[in-house]
Amino acid sequence: MLLDLSEEHREHLAFLPRVDSAVVAEFGRIAVEFLRRGSNPKVYEGAARKLNVSSDTVQHGVEGLIYLLTESSKLMISELDFQDSVFVLGFSEELNKLLLQLYLDNRKEIRTILSELAPDLPSYHSLEWRLDVQLASRSLRQQIKPAVTMKLHLNQNGERATEVLQTDPATLLHLVQQLEQALEEMKTNHCRRVVRNIK
Amino acid sequence: MEGTSEPVLDASSRVTNQLIDFQWKLGMAVSSDSCRSLKYPYVAVMLKVMDPAGQVKSRSFEMTIPQFQNFYRQFKEIAAVIETV
Repeated sequence: MLLDLSEEHREHLAFLPRVDSAVVAEFGRIAVEFLRRGSNPKVYEGAARKLNVSSDTVQHGVEGLIYLLTESSKLMISELDFQDSVFVLGFSEELNKLLLQLYLDNRKEIRTILSELAPDLPSYHSLEWRLDVQLASRSLRQQIKPAVTMKLHLNQNGERATEVLQTDPATLLHLVQQLEQALEEMKTNHCRRVVRNIK
Repeated sequence: MEGTSEPVLDASSRVTNQLIDFQWKLGMAVSSDSCRSLKYPYVAVMLKVMDPAGQVKSRSFEMTIPQFQNFYRQFKEIAAVIETV
């Protein structure tokens, strides 16, 4: 599968052959660091001064490199496909080799970072529970009604949320049975086959 | 509030929330995930509040008995003041 590089993207990358390979390697290092930690515009200014070009040119060059790496990693394109995709840019063989090495060296880590961008549903953190006996209410006095109160702690996008729920023991038992049934499903032949085939 | 099926709207309902319903229950917690043997009485209150836009929201909270007694004292004071107005 070949990458389809837009006009704008090619323009941004056109800056790379204008500097020597040590600089491109440095841009590559900056690109990966920005993927790890987020971008830092001050870096562009420093590099722009040293190379005697505008800060925008440096920014586009690095961002073009970042996009090249993320798209290649996202699609997990083969070495050959990467080389063919970059070939259309008309760079020197040395630069092409450098870019390929940059891709191969970093794609595993980039894929790990990209996997964290998937939409996040609230996930289980912890559950607090309490067994209560209701003794009276506005509508009925002299009761003995057992109930289970639960505080479900959830994580979403790094933030904590809580839900307070209450139910009676019979419903709780039903809930537990349903959950056990869901776990049992994992052991069926059908599920086992699907999981084996994905691996 | 007791036996009322429709919220009573007045001039202030355009600016403040209206209390539609006040339900309560008295319970005793007997066990929890952190403490297996409890004897903890509490009052739980379930409020239904309508905002000026007409949306009804439920809010619930719990009070320990001392907290409830303080809560009750506030209302006794409010009632006493109303008498003097």
